[in-house]
Amino acid sequence: MNIRIKHKTDFSKLDQLIEKYYEGMTTSDEEKQIRNFLTLPGLPKRFEVEKEIFGYYDQKKKKPHAGILPYFRWACVAAAVAIVVFSLQVYMNTNQTNYACIDGKKIYDVTQIKSQALESLSDVSPKTNEVEEGFNNLNDHDVIKQQLDVFSGL
Amino acid sequence: MVKKKRYKMKSIKKYLVLALLAGFGFFPNLKAQNDLQISRVFELYGEKKGSVMVELTDEMLEGYDFSLFKSITINNNPQAADFIRKCLTKDETGAKKVKQVVTNGIPTSIYLQLPRKGQLFRLILFNETFKPVQKITLIYIESKNDSEDVLKLILKKK
Repeated sequence: MNIRIKHKTDFSKLDQLIEKYYEGMTTSDEEKQIRNFLTLPGLPKRFEVEKEIFGYYDQKKKKPHAGILPYFRWACVAAAVAIVVFSLQVYMNTNQTNYACIDGKKIYDVTQIKSQALESLSDVSPKTNEVEEGFNNLNDHDVIKQQLDVFSGL
Repeated sequence: MVKKKRYKMKSIKKYLVLALLAGFGFFPNLKAQNDLQISRVFELYGEKKGSVMVELTDEMLEGYDFSLFKSITINNNPQAADFIRKCLTKDETGAKKVKQVVTNGIPTSIYLQLPRKGQLFRLILFNETFKPVQKITLIYIESKNDSEDVLKLILKKK
């Protein structure tokens, strides 16, 4: 008998809570209470709609725990991190690859970098024609002497 | 069952972290010069005292249109010169030797035209001088222009 009375009062409280819920005034604790009420056995038929509503939400909540979804979530996080890092590296590569390192000290001034680059290019490119240089080393006097030496042997 | 699931999740997380780390380590090494031995020269001597290293990407340099220009100049370091020569011997395979100057049996100037990598023409230029001081210059160039045209520009007398 006591239990019946309790249930009666409980359902009237549930009515109040549902009313509050439709008005959008319920707290999360109160919504928890509604959920608990709705799981009680012997619930009157008038609560079927609410049961369906909350049942739907519960199902939605339970879904992520099933099957492959947690792995998928992790894969998404990993992919997101990879994309962020990759874009950062691309950004760094496009903006920071122009540099000169002099005695271990990095400089990013483009004009200075370019002048260093041109200097190294001029180090590699021949200053004068090597054959021409070889000829210049021999002055006229030497040339004549060499030519005469060739004929002196005859 | 729950324990098994947890263990599975843990190992998946572990693999993901490893994959990410491997990925981050791999991305910076996607440059075309990394298949060459001379990349080690830039790594080893680039930030040392007495060295000047330059890296330019997609820049115009007095008429030269380079996708990548990388150079290093090292002063008074004969060991570095020997190391570069060793690297160049390995990089020579498959490359066309455009120029080589040998002084007292040692190559002091080498120009290499490397095989194309994708759309990029690649060149390695090396020079060693001894006056007034020992000076090594090593240049690596990547360009969309024909490497012969790039060489012509560089070899023109200054």
